[in-house]
Amino acid sequence: MAHNLLNFKVKNKLRRFFMKSKFVLFVLIAAILFPLSSVYSAETIKIGALYTMTGRGGQYGKDSEVAIKIALDEVNKKGLPGGAKLDVIITDDKNPQYAVSVAKRYITDEKCKFLFGIISTAIGLAVTEVSKEHKVIFVGTDHAGTDLTANKFQKYYFRSSNNTFQSMMAGAMYLKNEIKNWKKIAYIGPDYAYGRDQWMELKWALDKLGVKYQVVGEYWPKLYEPDYTSYITAIMKAAPDILVNGMWGGDTVAFIKQAKPYGLFNKMKYFHVDAGGNYEVFAALGDDMPEGLILSARHHNNWPDTPENNEYVQKFYKAAGRYPTYAAEGAYVGIHMIAEAIRKVGNANDTEALIKALEGMKIKCPEDPPGFTSYIDPKTHQIVQVQAIGVTMKNDKFPPTKYMLGNFKVYPADKLWPNFEYIEYMTKVKGK
Amino acid sequence: MDINTFIAQFISGLSTAMLLFLISSGLTLIFGVVNVLNFAHGSFYLLGTYFAYQLMQLFNNFWVGLLVGAIGAGLVGMVIEFFFLRRIYGRAQQEGAFQLLMTYAFILILDDTVKFIWGTEYKTIPKPASLTGSLNIGTVTVPAYNVFIIIVGLLVVLFAWYFLMRTETGKMVRASSIDRIMLSLLGVNVPMIMTLVFGVATAMGGLAGVLAAPLRTVTPGAGIEVIIDSMIVVVIGGFGNFWGALLGALIIGEVLSFGILYMPELATVLTFIVMIIVLIAKPEGLLAKKAVGRK
Repeated sequence: MAHNLLNFKVKNKLRRFFMKSKFVLFVLIAAILFPLSSVYSAETIKIGALYTMTGRGGQYGKDSEVAIKIALDEVNKKGLPGGAKLDVIITDDKNPQYAVSVAKRYITDEKCKFLFGIISTAIGLAVTEVSKEHKVIFVGTDHAGTDLTANKFQKYYFRSSNNTFQSMMAGAMYLKNEIKNWKKIAYIGPDYAYGRDQWMELKWALDKLGVKYQVVGEYWPKLYEPDYTSYITAIMKAAPDILVNGMWGGDTVAFIKQAKPYGLFNKMKYFHVDAGGNYEVFAALGDDMPEGLILSARHHNNWPDTPENNEYVQKFYKAAGRYPTYAAEGAYVGIHMIAEAIRKVGNANDTEALIKALEGMKIKCPEDPPGFTSYIDPKTHQIVQVQAIGVTMKNDKFPPTKYMLGNFKVYPADKLWPNFEYIEYMTKVKGK
Repeated sequence: MDINTFIAQFISGLSTAMLLFLISSGLTLIFGVVNVLNFAHGSFYLLGTYFAYQLMQLFNNFWVGLLVGAIGAGLVGMVIEFFFLRRIYGRAQQEGAFQLLMTYAFILILDDTVKFIWGTEYKTIPKPASLTGSLNIGTVTVPAYNVFIIIVGLLVVLFAWYFLMRTETGKMVRASSIDRIMLSLLGVNVPMIMTLVFGVATAMGGLAGVLAAPLRTVTPGAGIEVIIDSMIVVVIGGFGNFWGALLGALIIGEVLSFGILYMPELATVLTFIVMIIVLIAKPEGLLAKKAVGRK
């Protein structure tokens, strides 16, 4: 009997021990697996980006890709609600039809919550229709056609870099206030919407500011025209006081190279304020860049001289081994815009709430001078930023360039956008 | 129009025409002899610009770049013709489609190859020191480098005339553009002629690229920009007609130059209008005879 009792007690103790052990084991396993399960259940919020990765605009795509990675690291390090992570898929946009098919695939197959990017306005105009049809937010980061935040506005579209109207309005102010005794003006720009709209916007702005001028020539080479020689001799004959140029990228480089031996820049003021001052132009021209050209760009590597801008530029340089073109800053800001909206709303699924969060959002950009923070205009969804126009001068602090812009004149953001009078004019001229 | 304006526009047009001629002469030569419409011809122009850039980085000598760039483009052309295009010769009805597909594929491959090797950033190369200045013709300023391009173009014309008209090999090249089968029956190694002609033609495209590089931007996609204008020149002059390429280039260069002065809104359309007029009036091209005999 006593033996049986002893056995019972021992068995009971052993059973309790094993149960405790099982319990401890269970707790141990749960302690290991629970964090893992949190990781697997944390959401990956996908952003579907389209960028030009080949041909002429390839550098803008490459720069945007680098800037996106920098922004993603910062965003994911700061964290998003529910431990979610942002991820970006990038595809070469090629042409409007192809970009539309990729955008649709992003939404239906990849389940992307946002569309993003795009260099060409033509492609942006096509993809915004996909965004509207599928009710997916599209953050445009580099294409600058004013249409998208004006007559072609649709509520799912937002833009994180300035449009051409903002550049041209600032340009008109510069022409009025900074250049004296000029009368004759000529324009050369690529023969498509981007080139045409800039000239229309500059003339509208000059008229609004009461500037009297005489147009002595308008020249429309095709986009990517390799040879401007005959245009240059025609411009020299017209002899304007101001030559306005609406080209971008390699076209600007080629034009300046071909015009310089004719002495064009000594005979007239050269004015190129949307894309003329982009870093790649300085890098390509090196010592061939003339002094005294009046240029601007959507972001400057050397202005403003703030810790935020300097840190951004150096981070890019460290990641890419070169300094950024302005396309990069638009992409960088775009990712932060999306992240901030998600933080405000608490998730990436409530599109209407995200739109409300983006409207009016203040977003600190590298290009913001001290005392100013860029913001998204609630009615047009266009980022509102200052514009700084400068003059080329010797500066080799951003190699391989030998010149950069200096002597900047800064134009306040609220004087540049929104301009509903212009939007009304544009809608009458171009339609919705 | 005053005389100075006329001279300025004429010389601008001539400089544009010479570069166009150098590219399109190669294109028309390939069509005439090899019977291939080489859509990838602009890519050899592109290779010329990049070879020039690379050689400038290595040797800082434009003249080395000029020679090696042209030869390099020619060698690449010969490799493509020998190993790839030959596979599709003589496939009767499908050959046209295969040519289009294969040469278009090479546009994409070569474009991405330069992007892979040299990156996407815009590059430029300086003009040689001896050609950086300008000349004054009366009150008209003409960059020395543009004059140099015109001289090179004229030298190529002279050399081509001598080669095609005065040498045995040149006679064989002309004969192969008329009747390849008959030429091979006479014991001539026609495939070798075709490969050599392809190499010379693509070398001319490469030469145009090297000459253009100090004036334009060295960038992926540069080849595609020149191919349409080159095709227009070849259509106007006549497919396979070398002198037609010269005439076509001169017409296009001057029409564009004076069109910019008087009809700037229509300047880029004028070249297409000229092409349409030629296609209606003389569809085989201004200098081409109507097709006779076999190829």
